[in-house]
Amino acid sequence: MKFDSKINKGPLDLRTVIGFFHTHLLYRDHAALTDVSFTVANGEFVCLTGPSGAGKSSILRLITMDLLPTEGQVIVRGMVSTNMNRRRIPLLRREIGYVFQDFRLLEDRDVYQNVQFAQVVVGISSKQMKNNVMRLLTQVGLWDKRHRLPHQLSGGEQQRVAIARAMVNSPKILLADEPTGNLDPVVAQEIIDLLFRINTGGTCVVFSTHDHEIVKNFGQRVIVIENGRITSDEEHKTAASTAHRLADRMYRPSAPQPAAVRVQEGSERA
Amino acid sequence: MPSKTQIGYLLRESFAGFARRKLTTGVTILIMGSALLILALFTIVTLNLGSLLETARGGIDLRVFLHEELGAQREAELQPRLVVIPGVQSVAYISKDMALRELQAQLGDEVDIMTAVDTNPLPPSYQVTLSPDARTAAAVERIEQEILLWPEVQEVVYAQRWVEVLERWNSVFRLASLIVSLVVFAAAVFVISNTVKLTMASQARLIEIMKLVGATNWFIRTPYLCEGMLQGLLAGVIAMGILAGTYSLLRSQMDGLVFFTPWQMVGFVLLCISLGLVGSWAAIRKYLRT
Repeated sequence: MKFDSKINKGPLDLRTVIGFFHTHLLYRDHAALTDVSFTVANGEFVCLTGPSGAGKSSILRLITMDLLPTEGQVIVRGMVSTNMNRRRIPLLRREIGYVFQDFRLLEDRDVYQNVQFAQVVVGISSKQMKNNVMRLLTQVGLWDKRHRLPHQLSGGEQQRVAIARAMVNSPKILLADEPTGNLDPVVAQEIIDLLFRINTGGTCVVFSTHDHEIVKNFGQRVIVIENGRITSDEEHKTAASTAHRLADRMYRPSAPQPAAVRVQEGSERA
Repeated sequence: MPSKTQIGYLLRESFAGFARRKLTTGVTILIMGSALLILALFTIVTLNLGSLLETARGGIDLRVFLHEELGAQREAELQPRLVVIPGVQSVAYISKDMALRELQAQLGDEVDIMTAVDTNPLPPSYQVTLSPDARTAAAVERIEQEILLWPEVQEVVYAQRWVEVLERWNSVFRLASLIVSLVVFAAAVFVISNTVKLTMASQARLIEIMKLVGATNWFIRTPYLCEGMLQGLLAGVIAMGILAGTYSLLRSQMDGLVFFTPWQMVGFVLLCISLGLVGSWAAIRKYLRT
């Protein structure tokens, strides 16, 4: 391989789960991303914001290796875009949960089957599967509605099913692409809270939205992307938000315990 | 290795396409079945013509009739000359008496030739058996022409027209079944690939989600491949069933009708299955390109 200064050569920080190194992406002959570099540490909550078409979805698709960079490098969970076996991409995707603005549930299957489906694909034993689906649906508060079809649920409930599906294989990374875009503010806040809880359980969350305002109040790291370039990447840790988050984590007995969201490693995969 | 839940899922999904689109699948199987029936029919006709030709060729031995007044010596001299002609396998002398007895045997007991005629009108002859590679119309004609030049020979008889006609039809049918097979293969692959494409289009969301949650391409592909193979299998069985039914009806009326051997039937159905596989593979290839 010829020398390329734009490729990461040094050792990665061990906590890095996602790394973009001078990534350029041409999509349909148009520069979707230009020289994008950032790293995300394990367990981090990162907001990706910017106007529609700025390149947020491209970044998410690069993370799942659905797209590969035209130039530069993307490293996700140790998988290196410039030097990998394409057949291993499915294995990477099992470590990434993905949630969309339009939920993307299977309309002809009920809530239970939708969540179960992600496990069938991966090949988990049926007993494990039953336990996992039950646990996840209980956590998102939809166990009672497990026999409903998606169209019989509200938007917020559908998104919670989608989140349960994304989390059922205990991924290390959760990508949320405008997850609150179709929801009213109250329901949106519920979904955001759920994502925070998942994050406290140890899963790295990448939250993509065009709405810069809601993100500012999260008190989390915000990467702003405009015209395919990163224009700002900073922590928004206001004192208030930190205190709020801390309090939220410590004194909310009704909420599922963060530890419960995290799945015991090893035992889950068949 | 797929797990038990995965195998269960794959099996269910392979048949689910049938259940969801009964009409499309049914029509596909019927169209493919008819195409395959035509193919099998052509093969059968070719097979039968071939076997008919074989039988006819087996019987195209020459009968060389000699002039009456040659005498035993000159008649016997002909034998070595006949044997050395290329394409001749063996030669048997048939005397006037033997010819008469032969005729008597053919006519049966009702007529007694021996008493009906006082002199034997039948000429002496040689029965010339040809070697297998000389049993074609062209070779027989060459040998006939050669023998006819001999002054001792009165006439040469064989089933000339019959063999020529058969040979012509046989080659026509061989060519036709070759063309028909190519057309039918293409049509069957096209029809199956279209149906599988329909199935996949209706499940675009499912495929997208499978990719998203980390299904391997093989896992995504398998149900569609099975669906295609199943359609091929059913179409093949239908075509073969219709043909076998027709054959068993005709068998009593037509003698010496040749049909597929059981192994050939299995081979035909396997061919249909592989056509289904190729068709669905073609459909999936476009879909799974990431």
